[in-house]
Amino acid sequence: MSTVSTVLRRDSAGARDAAGPGGTRAPRRRRPVRAGRLTPYLLLAPALVLFAIVILIPVVKAVQVSLYEWSPIPGADNTFVGADNYLKAFGDHEFGRDVVNATVYMLVTVPGQIVVGLAVALLLYSRLPGRTLFRVLFYLPVVTSWVVVSLLFRYLFSDEGALNWFLVDVLGVADHPVGWLGSRWTAMVALCTLGIWKGIGWTAVILLAGLQGVPVEHQEAAAVDGAGYLRRVWHVVLPALRRSLLFVTVLLGIGGFQAFIQVLLLTQGGPAGETEMPLTYLYRQAFDYLDFGYGSALAVLMTVVVLAVSVAQTLVFNRLDRGAA
Amino acid sequence: MTMETRRLRRTRYTARLLALTFGAVVLILPFAYMVSTSFKPNILAFDWPPRLIPDHPTLDNYVQAWTANNFGRYFLNSALVACSTTVLTVLGAALAAYAFARFTFPGRTLLFWTMMLGLMVPGVVILIPQFLVAHTLGLTDSLSGLVFFYVGGGVAFNTFLLRGFFERIPGELDESMRIDGAGTMRRFAALYLPMSRPALATSAIFAFLGAWDEYSWAMTVINDPAKNTLPLAIAQFQGAHSTSWGLVFAASLIGMAPVILIYVLGQRHFISGLTSGALKS
Amino acid sequence: MIMSARRWRAALGAAVAATTALALGACGDSKPASSDSLTGTITFWHGYSADAKELKTLREVVIPGFEAKHPGAKVKDVAVKDSDLRQKVLTAAAGSDTPDVLRADIAWVSEMAKLGLLERLDKAMPDFQQYAGQVFPGPLATNKYKGSYFGLPLDTNTRVLMYNADTLAKVGVTEPPKTFDDLRALGDKLAGSHTYVYAEGGLGGWSILPWIWSGGGDITDPNYTKATGYLNSPQSVAAVQMLYDLYKKGEIPNGIVGAGGGMPNDEGLVKGKYATILDGPWMYPIFASKYPDFKLQVAPVPAGPGGSISVVGGEDVVVFKQSKHQALALEFTRYLLSPEVQTAFGKAGQMPVLKDLDFASVNPTFKPFAEQLKTARPRPPVPAWTQMDDVLGKKLQAAFKGQMSVQQALDQAAAEIDTLLAKG
Repeated sequence: MSTVSTVLRRDSAGARDAAGPGGTRAPRRRRPVRAGRLTPYLLLAPALVLFAIVILIPVVKAVQVSLYEWSPIPGADNTFVGADNYLKAFGDHEFGRDVVNATVYMLVTVPGQIVVGLAVALLLYSRLPGRTLFRVLFYLPVVTSWVVVSLLFRYLFSDEGALNWFLVDVLGVADHPVGWLGSRWTAMVALCTLGIWKGIGWTAVILLAGLQGVPVEHQEAAAVDGAGYLRRVWHVVLPALRRSLLFVTVLLGIGGFQAFIQVLLLTQGGPAGETEMPLTYLYRQAFDYLDFGYGSALAVLMTVVVLAVSVAQTLVFNRLDRGAA
Repeated sequence: MTMETRRLRRTRYTARLLALTFGAVVLILPFAYMVSTSFKPNILAFDWPPRLIPDHPTLDNYVQAWTANNFGRYFLNSALVACSTTVLTVLGAALAAYAFARFTFPGRTLLFWTMMLGLMVPGVVILIPQFLVAHTLGLTDSLSGLVFFYVGGGVAFNTFLLRGFFERIPGELDESMRIDGAGTMRRFAALYLPMSRPALATSAIFAFLGAWDEYSWAMTVINDPAKNTLPLAIAQFQGAHSTSWGLVFAASLIGMAPVILIYVLGQRHFISGLTSGALKS
Repeated sequence: MIMSARRWRAALGAAVAATTALALGACGDSKPASSDSLTGTITFWHGYSADAKELKTLREVVIPGFEAKHPGAKVKDVAVKDSDLRQKVLTAAAGSDTPDVLRADIAWVSEMAKLGLLERLDKAMPDFQQYAGQVFPGPLATNKYKGSYFGLPLDTNTRVLMYNADTLAKVGVTEPPKTFDDLRALGDKLAGSHTYVYAEGGLGGWSILPWIWSGGGDITDPNYTKATGYLNSPQSVAAVQMLYDLYKKGEIPNGIVGAGGGMPNDEGLVKGKYATILDGPWMYPIFASKYPDFKLQVAPVPAGPGGSISVVGGEDVVVFKQSKHQALALEFTRYLLSPEVQTAFGKAGQMPVLKDLDFASVNPTFKPFAEQLKTARPRPPVPAWTQMDDVLGKKLQAAFKGQMSVQQALDQAAAEIDTLLAKG
């Protein structure tokens, strides 16, 4: 808990830093007198009330459920089991394997999406004919049906699919087809490729919006022409984008750890459950085995892990922030 | 400028165009396949291996999708839900983001991370508790109930998105407006909103897309067929053993049109963001 | 009095053609039965897809027929994507918001009964036995939980052997494999060619039980209390060992161990990559639309020491305890099992459950499935089935990957399943 509060304090410090752009820290001023102390709470009220009803209360309920052997049917006898569900989770090798899978997936897809997404955003940002058309084209994967995307990836990675054809018949780097979806890590390659592919458009849209806020004196830096382009991107554009990058990193991290539909559609967790993810496993416990107590306990643990990762990411960014200032 | 640098510039320019074109092709192939399948005569499975060009293109799938079970009604339901959700989410999130970005108050960081926590909890485990809440409040089986839950579910994400943009608005501008006597809401409406148009457009695009595409919650709470949204209607084309994918994709593509339209409209604001807001400061 | 009126009506339904039944049925209702509050609105949840012929039949023939028989009664049908229906029902149950009648996958009945959601039909329907006697025994058994019946079968299916005659002809075989020995022999003949003798998509109950049962083995005792001594009996082990040996010799592709990326069953059969598969009646329309020139051939599951025994699939109809119009819900259930409704659904492609129906006239492709159904068995109708199925699949995958012997895998699976069964 102490770590969290340290981070939180740093975070608010970071926010104030960001208020003064160009590295000059805005001088500390008196809080406004006219704005009553209630003002920020009033501003927050609509969002918070809805959030509390729709998310917070159900989350509290789920935490409660995780302490029981719980039946969803009203009036059923629910047995209080204390920490049993949590203890079970720590001895659950399958869940452990799924956490490893999700971690690998996250470590590969988050940087992958950011690097490619940033490149796309920079390309789309520069002055080119048909820029709007390209922006629409690059956005299409975001709205393309998961079913069709997974189907094509299944074909791409199937034993007699396009990738094997390319490797064996065209490049000749392999003498026989690779059974991509037939073993754990090659199947993870397929899953990660799909994850990156599907996320590029989303990442690019956010970063593109972030680029619009790059202060005017730095605008030329984002133009692609001239020598030392990469250096200027590194020193000027990235620092200016840090808030957007933090947002994208945290959100992609959360999304990566919660990979679900791509697994169901591409590998079904196979072979032999080796590409299952925490969320597919948890779903099975809750809705297939009707063990909602255990499912909720796993969800709480997952949330703690994701929170820790997000906090760590925020810490790193705040340190970079101070470095940049 | 010498001939050589001009040639270099042109080469770079061409290279960029090629890179974009190649990327675009890789990214839109699945979409193109979706379009192509929607024009194929109705078969119960995909081609294997996939073929991009249909042998006997037909519009049957579109006709059938549009005329099956009240499709127009579902389209309208979705439009109502998505538009209301977008307006309310962006408004609520912008107010909250303003508070987080420009005010210090007790509980600020705690509240912010509580909202963030909402993004991290896997949705499937809170499905049943959410249903109980919705049931208690009488928000099941109604379109306004959907909007309520979509706004509550999307507001945290959009608050986080907008907070980052609001923080970049120079504090000096805020300060000078305050000295001129502008109140909290005045500064919000006259400074923060106009200067964050690219961000608000992004937020609106995601809020709209989220509500327009949402399936799980709508599937859980909507019983009355007259209140079906588009994703429910499209999903119902999928069968237990076989699915007419041409039909599913034709229906999906009809459904995607507004999403793309909203995106194109949002694009304008991306570009106008260049000439307004931050640049004038 | 009410009882006899219902019996009379049901007997009529079975005896006369659909149109007459409609007219007479309406007559029957003017009698005391109508006082049993056969009015009001009931909801019927199902997973028929929007473009399915079954849905058209439901909305244009079945429900209007029922409403014509029972003036003042209304049936509201709610379509949910099949794969999400179970989750929706469970969530709705948490909020006491269940439908009146549900078309439930056969695997859901026991768990929903255990949760206390379902009405006991053998208690609520005085004429239950009469309906139970008309349907195939395998599908009926899926409705039994702790000695009571909580539903009736609505439609059924099973797996039969599908083969490509041209592929067999290439190695001089003119008949599909009738026995385990035939299958082994065919495998030997195909060895070295690019054709697998048999393709299978997994090692769970749906995949493996036809072989275990046909081999004379079983998964549990008849009362579903114990797996040890059944799942790991010599007969069960021998049947699985046969598949294992074929797999080891490269005569079954690795889709059986859950590896994705292989050729789909339908394409493999058409292209001569797979000589045989086991599959259900829904494959007919798929083959017809994808491969109109291919002539699909079917035969019974190859027989072993235990005979030719396949596995039952399909749906049941169940009535929820919380239904406010229970009499009407039960009457709708009876109506769904009437020959006219079963025939109408049969013509739309959904296989009927009535043993004595003339399948050839309803839909000729059902014939071999109806034959196979006479001996087909259901997967154990117990609430823990989903978990048992996963245990079985995972242990056998370990065996097929060479991490343990088939005997060891089935010993371990049986022990774990015993624990699951003990929990009820």
